[in-house]
Amino acid sequence: MTTPLEGIPAELVTAELGAGSVHLRVDSQLYPLGAIYAAAYVFLDRCFVLLDRPDERNIRVTLAPKKAGADETILRTFVGEFSNELLSAAWRRQIAQDNRAVIEMVTSQAISAAMGPPSLDDLASFDFGDESFEDPLGIAMSWEEKYKKKDKPDADGTPDPEGKP
Amino acid sequence: MTELRLHRELYAGTAVDAAVKVYARFAAFELVEEASHWIVRVSSKNAARETQVARELANYALGTTIRERGGVQ
Amino acid sequence: MTVDLRSLVGIGAKLDTSFPAFFRHRRIGEKVLITNYEGNWLLLSDEEFGRFARGDVPTGTPLHTLLRDANFIRAEYDVQKAITRVRARKSFLHLGPNLHILVVTLRCNETCVYCHASRANMEAVHTDMSKETAERSIDFILRSTSPSVTIEFQGGEPLVNFEVVKHTIAYAIQKNESIGKQLEFTMVSNLSLMDEEKLGFLLQHKVQICTSIDGPEHLHDKQRKLPGFSSHKAATKWIARINEAYAEMGLDPTLYHVEALLTTTKETLPRWKEVVDTYVGLGCKALFLRPIDPFGFVEKTGARIEYPRSEYMEFYQQATDYMLELNKQGVQILERYAAIFLTKILAGEDPNFLDIRSPGGAGIGQLAYNYDGKIFTCDEGRMLHETGDDTFLLGDVRTSSYREITGHATVRALVIASQRDSQPDCIDCTYNPYCGVAPVHSHKALGSIWGSMRLSSLCAVHKGIQDYLFGKLAAADPATLSVLQRWTTVRSRDHFVQSGMTSA
Repeated sequence: MTTPLEGIPAELVTAELGAGSVHLRVDSQLYPLGAIYAAAYVFLDRCFVLLDRPDERNIRVTLAPKKAGADETILRTFVGEFSNELLSAAWRRQIAQDNRAVIEMVTSQAISAAMGPPSLDDLASFDFGDESFEDPLGIAMSWEEKYKKKDKPDADGTPDPEGKP
Repeated sequence: MTELRLHRELYAGTAVDAAVKVYARFAAFELVEEASHWIVRVSSKNAARETQVARELANYALGTTIRERGGVQ
Repeated sequence: MTVDLRSLVGIGAKLDTSFPAFFRHRRIGEKVLITNYEGNWLLLSDEEFGRFARGDVPTGTPLHTLLRDANFIRAEYDVQKAITRVRARKSFLHLGPNLHILVVTLRCNETCVYCHASRANMEAVHTDMSKETAERSIDFILRSTSPSVTIEFQGGEPLVNFEVVKHTIAYAIQKNESIGKQLEFTMVSNLSLMDEEKLGFLLQHKVQICTSIDGPEHLHDKQRKLPGFSSHKAATKWIARINEAYAEMGLDPTLYHVEALLTTTKETLPRWKEVVDTYVGLGCKALFLRPIDPFGFVEKTGARIEYPRSEYMEFYQQATDYMLELNKQGVQILERYAAIFLTKILAGEDPNFLDIRSPGGAGIGQLAYNYDGKIFTCDEGRMLHETGDDTFLLGDVRTSSYREITGHATVRALVIASQRDSQPDCIDCTYNPYCGVAPVHSHKALGSIWGSMRLSSLCAVHKGIQDYLFGKLAAADPATLSVLQRWTTVRSRDHFVQSGMTSA
C-alpha cells in the first residue's frame, strides 16, 4: 500500500513503508534522462534503484535503501538527497553543455602541455598496424616501398640485388 | 518468481543481458521481450534470495546502462 | 550577500540586457561588486549599479568611462583586451608539472594531532625511499614539459632519510646538466633532527627550507609531540640558525629566511594575536593561515581539533587585520592566502598556487612520488592512498612513461572537475575569475571529485577570504590599500635556482 510522505506532494512522491521503498515521479521535461541517470548512479551503492516510464512525460524512480528497516524518516531523507542530487546533475549538465567549447579547449591545452610531444620511446611502442589509419595515397609508405619494381630473378632464379625502380 | 520490468528506453538490452550473465549462478532466469520492456523473471527456492538477486540484477543493469550511455549529449 | 536587483534597479523598471556585457555581481557591505569573465572588477554604489543594470549610463559620464575602461559595456566590449587578460590569467596552462613532491620516508620523530602524511614510527625503515627509487623518480621528473621544476622533499620527516636526500640532490643536479631545466629544491621539515653537517649540505646545495610553527610554544608543543623535548624549541632554534647562515652568506634577510606553515586547529582560533606575534618574532615574512584539511589523522582527531568555518573566518579576519596594522607600523608580514588572491585581483596575474587555479594543479601542475615509487596526482592523493584509497594513484616511476602519467584518465577527470566553468555555483560566482576548486578535497570531504560547493568547507574559506579582501578594497583606506598592493609583489629568490634561466 502506498502512502504519501508528510510535507511532500503525494503526486510527486509515495512510499511503500512495508516494502521499505519510495517512488518519485520525475518530469523528464524538467530533468533530462542524463540527469536522472547521473543522480541514480550516485545512489546505487546505498539503494536498489529501479526506473520506469509510466507515461511519455514522466519517469518513476523507485528507491529502496539496501539497509533493512527504512522507516518514513529515512525514506524522506533519501527523497531529499535524491532530489538535490537530481537538481545538481541537471544544472551541471546544462552548464557543461553551455560551456563545452571552453571546457574542451582548456582541458586540451592543459593535458597537451603537460604531456608534451611523444618521445622516440613512445613512438616505438605505438601501434602503427594495418588498422591504425587509412592511407589511400600511400603517404605513410616509404619511397622504396611505394616505387620498388618487383625483383626480376636471374637465369638461375636469384633476384637482382640491384633491382631498379 | 519475481518479475523485473525494465523499460527499453531506460535500460540497454546489452546491459540486461550482462546482468543476467553475472547473476546466472545465483538463480534461474527467464527472459522475455515486450514492446516496451525487457522482462526478467527470477526464480529461486529461497524467497529472500530471489528478491535479493532481482534487486542486485536491476542495479547492475542500471549501472551498466548508465556507463554505456553516459556523458553529455 | 545577494543583491536585491528589483530594489536597486527600481521596482517596475526594466533591466536593459543589451547594455551590460557579461557580468556577475555580489553585495560587499554598502557596495555592489561586479566582475566580468576576464576578471576585471568594479565596486559600485547601489545607485551606480541600478543605472548600469537599467542601461541608464550616458556616454561621457564618469560612470560610463569607468564601465567602458573595465570592459563592462557590451557595445564597446574590447575583445582583444579581454583575450590578453585571460591569457595572463591562464599562462600556467602552457606548462607541465613544475612541483614534484618526493616523500623520502614516512618515518617521523614527531606526532602531530592533524598529521595528514600518515606518518610511521621510527622503526618503519621499510617506508624509506631507496636511492634507486629516488633516481628513477628524478629521471621521471626531469622529463616534465615544464622548463622549471621544484623538487620538494617531504615525509614523514625527510631528515630521517637524509642519505637519500643527499643522493637525490646530487643525482638530479648531475642529470640536469644535460637537460638544462631551472631546478630548485625545497624541504619541509620539523627541523628537530637538523645539525650543522646537514645544514651545511643544504645550504651548499641551495635547498629552501620550510617548517611548521603552530604559534606560541605551549600550543605548538601540545599539537606536535616530540618525546622528551620541546618541538617548538627545536624548530625555532634552527630557524634562527638558518636565518643567521643566510645573512652570513650575504643574502638579503627580507628575502631569504625560513618560511613556516601554520595549521589552524580549534585551539589556535582564540590565539590569533599570539600566532602572528610568534611568526613576526621568528623573522618570518609570511603567514599562511591554513585551515585544517580532511586528510590523515583528522579523521580520528577531528572532534577535538575541527571547527565551523565561520569561526575560522573570524580568526582569519582578526589575524589579518592585526597583520595589516603591523604593516602600517613598518613590520613586514603578509598573509599568504590574501597575497594569492590579491595577485589575481589587483595584478591580473596568476601566482600559480596549484590549489587555487582553474584547472587545478593535480596531475598537470604537480605530481607526488611515494617512498615506494608510486606516483600520485598530488600529495593529498598520496595521503589518501596511505589510508586505503587508490583513486588518485597514477602509476610507478619504474614502469610508467611520462605521457602515461600526465595523460592518465584520472588526470583528465581532475582537469575537467577543477574547471570553474564546469562547476555549479562557481559558474555564477562573482569570484569565478580568481578562485579554484580542489577535486581531491571534494572527493574526501564530499564523496565525489565534483562535490557540491554549497557544502564545501574550502569554498566557504575561499569566499570568506575574498569577501574580506573586497571589503577592504571597498573601504578604500589608503594605508590599507598600500599594504595590500605590496602583498602582490613577488620578488624572485634567484639564489635557490640551480641552473637554467633565472627569473626576471
